[in-house]
Amino acid sequence: MAEAAPLKGEKPEIGRQAAAGEGLAAPRSLERARTFRDAAALAALVLAGAGLVYFLLPGGPRIATMFLIYLTAVLSLSIYSGNSGITSFGHAAFLGLGAYVSAILTMQPAVQASALPHLPEFLKGWALTYWPALVAVIGAGVVVGLVTGAPLSRLNGGAAAISTLALLIIVHVILVGARDFTRGSQTFYGVPRLTTPVVVAVVAIAAVFVARWFRDSATGVKLRATRDNEVAAEALGIKASRVRYGGWILSVVVGMAAGSLYGHFLGAFSPKDFYFSFTYLLVAMLIVGGFFSVTGAVVGTALIFAVVQILRQAEGQSSFLGLFPLPPLFGLTEVGLGLALMLTIWRRPLGLAGLSELSLPWGASRLAPARTRSVAPAAAPGTAGDRLEISGLSCRFGGLKAVDDVSFSVRPGEILGLIGPNGAGKTTLVNLICGQIAGQAGAVVLNGKTVSGLHPAARADAGLARTFQNIRLFERMTVLENITAAALLRTGSLGAAREKAIALASEFNLLDIADRIAGTLPYGSRRRLEIARALATEPKYLLLDEPAAGMNPAETEALTEEIKAIRDRYGLGLIVIEHDIPLIMRVSDRIVVINRGAKIAEGDPATVRNDPAVIEAYIGSRNSH
Amino acid sequence: MDLLLQHVINAVSLGGTYALLSLGLAIVFSIIGLINFAHGELMTAAGYTIFFMLAAGVSLPLAIVFAIVAVAILAMGIERVAFRPMRKADMTGLLITSFAMSMILQAFFQNAIGARPRAVAMPEALSGVVNLGSVHLGIIPLMSISITVVALVALNLFLKHTVMGITMRAAAEDIDVVRLLGLKAGRVVATSFAVSGVLAATAAFLWVAQRGSVDPLMGFVPVLKAFVATIVGGLGSLTGAVAGGMLLGIVEVLAQVVLPPSMVEFRDAFVLGFVILLLLVRPQGLLPAPTGRRS
Repeated sequence: MAEAAPLKGEKPEIGRQAAAGEGLAAPRSLERARTFRDAAALAALVLAGAGLVYFLLPGGPRIATMFLIYLTAVLSLSIYSGNSGITSFGHAAFLGLGAYVSAILTMQPAVQASALPHLPEFLKGWALTYWPALVAVIGAGVVVGLVTGAPLSRLNGGAAAISTLALLIIVHVILVGARDFTRGSQTFYGVPRLTTPVVVAVVAIAAVFVARWFRDSATGVKLRATRDNEVAAEALGIKASRVRYGGWILSVVVGMAAGSLYGHFLGAFSPKDFYFSFTYLLVAMLIVGGFFSVTGAVVGTALIFAVVQILRQAEGQSSFLGLFPLPPLFGLTEVGLGLALMLTIWRRPLGLAGLSELSLPWGASRLAPARTRSVAPAAAPGTAGDRLEISGLSCRFGGLKAVDDVSFSVRPGEILGLIGPNGAGKTTLVNLICGQIAGQAGAVVLNGKTVSGLHPAARADAGLARTFQNIRLFERMTVLENITAAALLRTGSLGAAREKAIALASEFNLLDIADRIAGTLPYGSRRRLEIARALATEPKYLLLDEPAAGMNPAETEALTEEIKAIRDRYGLGLIVIEHDIPLIMRVSDRIVVINRGAKIAEGDPATVRNDPAVIEAYIGSRNSH
Repeated sequence: MDLLLQHVINAVSLGGTYALLSLGLAIVFSIIGLINFAHGELMTAAGYTIFFMLAAGVSLPLAIVFAIVAVAILAMGIERVAFRPMRKADMTGLLITSFAMSMILQAFFQNAIGARPRAVAMPEALSGVVNLGSVHLGIIPLMSISITVVALVALNLFLKHTVMGITMRAAAEDIDVVRLLGLKAGRVVATSFAVSGVLAATAAFLWVAQRGSVDPLMGFVPVLKAFVATIVGGLGSLTGAVAGGMLLGIVEVLAQVVLPPSMVEFRDAFVLGFVILLLLVRPQGLLPAPTGRRS
């Protein structure tokens, strides 16, 4: 596969990149400008909508203000839940905290003295205006986020969701109990009405920009990667707890800012205003609009807010269009929200907006690879003693020895085939090497550094990368975002990571579909994407777990060449786990055979092929019956 | 000494009620991955059934039986209407659906019956006290413990010794395999809801006997606690649910006894803080359900 004639081949091959560099462009700032422009478009839409309501509807100013407050609240929820995939039931509580903090700091001293006689000295008599109070609220938000996020960010899935629910109750109990600060469950009154149209518009628009910026920031991309597949994200060097912590803190800060708006809008409130029904409303808005995008948060807020306004009107009616009397109805709003939620989950589980953001048409050349330079690290030759050394790895599940005292090593530039019958322990072995599971004994040493015992992300950082037997992509992110999330391991800058991702996408023939959602790709592209993504972490050693699974002979043939090309181009050590014996025989420099967890043979392909123990493992012994 | 015994009895009786509720949640979760928030409304429905039966002059045991049957049917009805169409939804989607269902049922109770609590006329005999030497033990906590034990034993027998019970345990590990084996998965799911309804109704009786009234929001708080207990025990694990429920009951009573009076109103904050810490150490809960998933 000569690189000199890259355009001749019909099959997708990885020598193409050198020729694909005619377009320049995609300077780093361009991406950011794009995000900014899309955010501005969304913000303009929000302002226009709110403005129309403000001027045209009876009671417009009040309705428009409430809409913008709810929008800020839902955006805060979206920053954490939308990007992490963990539904937070706790955000209503943080709005409450924001409302109380801001209210205490802005109250007139005389009112404060009568409403909160036991307030500690340091909080008395500040009587701030809105903006300085907002700064204090943001500061308090950082503290609250740091404290609550510390345990929360280490949890995922159901445990995380239940913990946010626990936080909701904990904060509520504290608000009710801290009478000296909050008047307990009694109404907290005398809060200055500082939520003017200008104030609410500024904060809400800022929230749109913050949410949109965060989604496409380095942390946001990594957080979405953990949302879509935490195991894969960690194998690519993303520390899930760290990115969740970041998202949580930002989300709490925005939530508390929304709360301050709400408090100064209501003028009087009590802890129950920030409890279950408020949570229910916020979650409903986000889910109906679309959990996974900022656009969805805006759409959902607008729609549900309108529905709630109409239903509240109906609840207050004592007769049907003045024709015949109606009994007073309770909870019509709750029923309406419930039906909207169920309809959404039933018919459009991704919400009205789906996965994509509102985006303006943009110049076509933005995906051209930036430069023709290779992504490969300039073939760092390394020292002579470099290798990945696996020694004495063992892992038991109960009484079953899945991996039993296995040792071997790989050098840079070498392809090691790892084969064995079904259930031999191959995948368990890969999981042990890369840290997805912990074994009982043995060591993994990468170029002299012991990595066993480290977190998977730390092993990726040390230079280990892998693919998975049943492909693990970030299904709800684009092809390019998939690679970018991995490339961020080696560069803090999002722009540089995207540049590298574009180059890799081009190399693996994925550039045409770079903006497709990964979950919609056909099988072959999924495999290629997973390999490209693993390479984006600039690994020193790459483990491919059954790369040929489900491929037809022609595809397998192409894969053989690709594997060799990867080795040549990147100079890395490869471990290929396969069932496909012909593929392994052709591609490997050396082969390790395991059966029932133990290594039974090692050597070059010809030796292994004729090894009696290997033949017995695959075909069975002639003498055994 | 006798004070200690009383606390222990209270803890076990409260824990037992939570255990019944969390078992109901766990049994449904283990099969279709749904955390059923509307479980609380099943409890409320049982409470109202008992209330109306007693008001109509039916004897208490008959009222309980009637409530159990009615709520089991209601649970199957909810499954049919709200959850069966959502089979494809993920765990959060199902959770939110049940949350919505819960709100709708609450609104229904408020409109159809009224928002005010209704006093339930429990027989005199239940409010008595058993005297064992110097120790006075309430009849209700003792009855509550015995009923919990009977319910747990019955459920255990059902799961271990009936065809449907064994099928349900198989479905809890992998419902798709149950489908492949030609067993009626739909019936398994419906049965799991019916069983959860029976457990909710039993718990509702114990709750009402303790508190003496029903209101439209009655089920919300206990089921919230049971929800926490299920997570603590390990989602989908039945033994875990019982252990989690018991533990939560014990911790609550303990917090009530140990905390200084000025802090008692913060009890729930302490209990839930403890839960979060526990999850940090064991994110899968105390006794996680077995799964056979591969990477």
